[in-house]
Amino acid sequence: MPTLTIDNQEIKVPAGTRVIEAAKLLGIEIPHYCYHPALSIAGSCRMCLVEIEKFPKLAIACHTVATDGMIVHTNSDKAEHARTSMLEFLLANHPLDCPVCDQAGECKLQQYYMTVGRHNSALLDNKIKKTKARVLGPHVILDSERCILCSRCVRFTAEISKSHELGIFNRGDHSELLNYPGKALDNPYSGNVVDICPVGALTDRDFRFKVRVWYLDSKPSICHGCARGCNIRVDYLRRRFHHNDGKRIARFKPRHNPDVNGHWICDAGRYSYKQLENEDRLLTPQVDGTPGGWDSVLAGAAKAFAGHVSEFGVNSIALITSASLSNEEMFTAQELFGNGLKMEKIAWRIPPGPENKDDDLLIRADKNANSFAAEKIFTSTSRAKDVEEVLAKTEAGKIKAWIVLDADLGPAFGDERIAKAAESLRFSWYLGSYRNATSQACRFVLPSTVFTEKEGTVTNFAGRVQHFPAVVSPLGGALPLLEIFAKLAGRLELPTVETNPARVYQSLGQSFEHFAQPIYAAPTAKAAPTSKVS
Amino acid sequence: MATQNTIRVSVRRRAATLSFWEQVYLFEVIRGLWITTHHFVLNLYYHILKLFGIRKTHPLTPTIQYPEECRPLALRLRTLHRLARRDDGRPRCVACMMCETVCPALCIQIVAAAVDDPNIEKRPKSFDIDIGKCVFCGFCVEACPEDAIRMDTGILDIASYSRGGMVLDIDRLLSLNAATERTDKEVDQLQKWLLQ
Amino acid sequence: MSPVMYWTTTVAKSVYILVFPLTLAFVLAWAERKQSAVMQDRIGANRASVFGRPWLGFVHMVCDAMKMFTKEDFVPETEHRFLHHIAPGIAMFFALLAFAVIPFGNQLTIAGETIGLQVADLNVGILFVFALTSLGVYGLVLGGWSSNNNYALLGAIRASAQMISYEICIGITVIGAIIAFGTLSLQEIVLAQGTHLLAGWLPRWGILLQPLGFLLFFVAGIAETKRVPFDMPEGESEIIGFNLEYSSMKFGLFLFTDFVETVLIAAVTVTFFFGGWQVPWLYETGFAFPWGSTWAIHPNIAALLQMGAFVGKVVFFCWLMMAIRWTLPRFRYDQVMDLGWKWLLPLSLANVVVTALITLW
Repeated sequence: MPTLTIDNQEIKVPAGTRVIEAAKLLGIEIPHYCYHPALSIAGSCRMCLVEIEKFPKLAIACHTVATDGMIVHTNSDKAEHARTSMLEFLLANHPLDCPVCDQAGECKLQQYYMTVGRHNSALLDNKIKKTKARVLGPHVILDSERCILCSRCVRFTAEISKSHELGIFNRGDHSELLNYPGKALDNPYSGNVVDICPVGALTDRDFRFKVRVWYLDSKPSICHGCARGCNIRVDYLRRRFHHNDGKRIARFKPRHNPDVNGHWICDAGRYSYKQLENEDRLLTPQVDGTPGGWDSVLAGAAKAFAGHVSEFGVNSIALITSASLSNEEMFTAQELFGNGLKMEKIAWRIPPGPENKDDDLLIRADKNANSFAAEKIFTSTSRAKDVEEVLAKTEAGKIKAWIVLDADLGPAFGDERIAKAAESLRFSWYLGSYRNATSQACRFVLPSTVFTEKEGTVTNFAGRVQHFPAVVSPLGGALPLLEIFAKLAGRLELPTVETNPARVYQSLGQSFEHFAQPIYAAPTAKAAPTSKVS
Repeated sequence: MATQNTIRVSVRRRAATLSFWEQVYLFEVIRGLWITTHHFVLNLYYHILKLFGIRKTHPLTPTIQYPEECRPLALRLRTLHRLARRDDGRPRCVACMMCETVCPALCIQIVAAAVDDPNIEKRPKSFDIDIGKCVFCGFCVEACPEDAIRMDTGILDIASYSRGGMVLDIDRLLSLNAATERTDKEVDQLQKWLLQ
Repeated sequence: MSPVMYWTTTVAKSVYILVFPLTLAFVLAWAERKQSAVMQDRIGANRASVFGRPWLGFVHMVCDAMKMFTKEDFVPETEHRFLHHIAPGIAMFFALLAFAVIPFGNQLTIAGETIGLQVADLNVGILFVFALTSLGVYGLVLGGWSSNNNYALLGAIRASAQMISYEICIGITVIGAIIAFGTLSLQEIVLAQGTHLLAGWLPRWGILLQPLGFLLFFVAGIAETKRVPFDMPEGESEIIGFNLEYSSMKFGLFLFTDFVETVLIAAVTVTFFFGGWQVPWLYETGFAFPWGSTWAIHPNIAALLQMGAFVGKVVFFCWLMMAIRWTLPRFRYDQVMDLGWKWLLPLSLANVVVTALITLW
């Protein structure tokens, strides 16, 4: 455990710690471009030069291992001069096209110029022209002139995605980042190179020219793309909706969580934001495809339900639920339908298709965000857990009505089979966010919000409970599922349903020990809590 | 010696001290009436002379008969915006949103689009300025890194019969030019547009 | 007098007394723009033109009237739409009605019939005039109240407070004039001003009998017209007034009422203090000057001369009130109240006492 002094502050660090990491533990940020905690050390940018006593020259903080008795000065005149000069070299061939660069506003070149640069360029020679606007793959576009050759992206493809698409070619000031001939940057994690690129060399094709980053607000959230539950940051527009094609959510960015996803997310999750506000969203309640107001549609739905129950009994109704609902929604559904109405057929299990496989980085075969909680919550009372079984019983005429909670059965069972099975139903409710074969097969459609428009918690495949806040307000006439449950309970004259997710989670914790640990912030706390191990 | 230690307190009165006759007010009213009546009679005399063609001008009225007569505009005066063009006629604007960001009145709305030319990359698909909201602060001109938006058209009389008419789109903004480089024919066309 | 003759003359007189203030009010609306411009070294309205000429800005007045009539008549959401509709009418009605007792000439003789040049020779004419001007404030108050708007209501409250304050002063001042002339009939007051003082050299006009009375009456009268410097109820430049929720011709009617009231106050001032229709040394049969010479003219010509004199005097006072309006800034509300209650009221009371003492003595 060496003890070293950085800027007159002493710190004890584990053996093998780099100086830059030791400084970070003290809250001192040493400017850097090529260093990334998840990647190997390259030492190519030379921005992190610091003065270490008894060293003959300045040393790079990212590669120098902290040793006992080391005395480091990060802000000495020599170090500062070195930094400023290094930045001047890095900017020597920079095209200064910040006005058209999507990185502007979150660019490390801009940031360090304003904090440690502020120099006047002393270079007189013409700048080197390089490749501009070169498409590297389905998601990434390259501008070589902006590249500072830090090689973070090269190391990412070599060490993390292990797909080896990128390399640095040529020599001297003709060095250029390019993809290997015939190899497109199309690995399932390719979007991450945009995140780690400290400058505007690699930018997102999907985000290109959509909105300037300083118009975006951010909230932490949890990706609902698969059972991994990657921690993400949702960047959204709060005003100026003429940008981003009039949509509020502009992009997902990974949020560092060493226990779940590290620094990364997969491309499927990164671009899953697009469906959140696409034209398939259900925005108004419908009866038989005709839009109506909430009151009239709810009244009709409740009447159909009551009539059916008095004629056929509650056991002829099946609840088909998506395994992507939040813990709170599943618990409320179980309280309302399983315990309250004594419905015995609650199905959520749909086997993942053969094309879905776990990989050894992040991607999980199970595309539902919350299967773990569904197994915990519904198992106790349900007698028909597989959707396949419910479908078969419907086709046999034993099940005469469906209540579908945001489940899209089409991909797993085929649109025709769903439509045909639904024809024999006496009545059907669809409480969900998107228009699909299942929603079209159902009589009463009640639009619910997607995960960015509601608060809740989800449990990932490892049983980790993670909280996500409501990022934006509900789109159109959609309502959070908990509120729809409350309205339905009122119509069906059932006990009142709690709509505050924090209180629902409390009740959930009382019923299931797995959820006993508090996860919601105390009401006065301002910041949303990050994930916690259950 | 005692006077040196005395602290002088000056009492500041709210209004000027009025004499008794001023406080009566009536005589001040008559004095005011005298001034206005004096001007009235003198002006009436000149107006009548002018009405009958005896005099050509009225020596006492400084009125400028706008819009036939205009005062010369200062070169640095901030007037209606325009978007400058490149030498090849394409707009200089690259939709960097600097002006939109800096605008305190939120009157600029730009939608960006990509261009095939890798040396330009980005252009404004639409560029709307709501003159009804604009406060003519000139921040957009200051912020523009491309010198694309300028406020040198010399156009000050901007009016419309609808709020929508106050929104200038990219075509209109590109069609304007600086007041200093305008030909007589263009001045006529401008007059026509302003009057419609 | 035959019934036909009676009705014909009455209708003719009524039409005259309606047309006279309305025409003069229209001219005043023009003078408001043009006179102020000339006073302030400006040119004034000169853009709207007919046959290529602006006609001294009169075309603007026609355009303004057309604009008033064709604008959208906005009615606020209120439970009293009826009151909101009739309030401008009330204000205008009482202002016009007061002219009924104003004598605008002596008498004409047509076909052997003597026609008094006054619509109604009431023996309580003075009370009639002030009763009606007092009622006029109802138009303002109802208008402000029925607008369902706090600012309009505050304006109406200011209006009523100001009207009441200054009507007391007017009423008491007029008592002095009544004592001096010994009658309540306006025609008799004017006739009483037909004699002369100082061996016939000075006409015996009210201003000589009641100089302080004239001053008080004129100040209070300007306050009654609700125009600058007493435009508390309206305050068009910054404090919003009772007519806030009015538009189109209903607003125009309020505006016009101000001008009609200006004419009314001018007419009443002339009647009380400037000999009404009297022309100095002009009697029914002709002029009789104090140096002994006479100039006989036909009685009807003399009556027409007197009618002209009345119009001329009224026009002069309208001009004077307009000049005051464009000379003085507005009083503060507390100054208005101070002036009314602390100065005009005690002075008018003193005026009554002194007049009574002199008359007794």
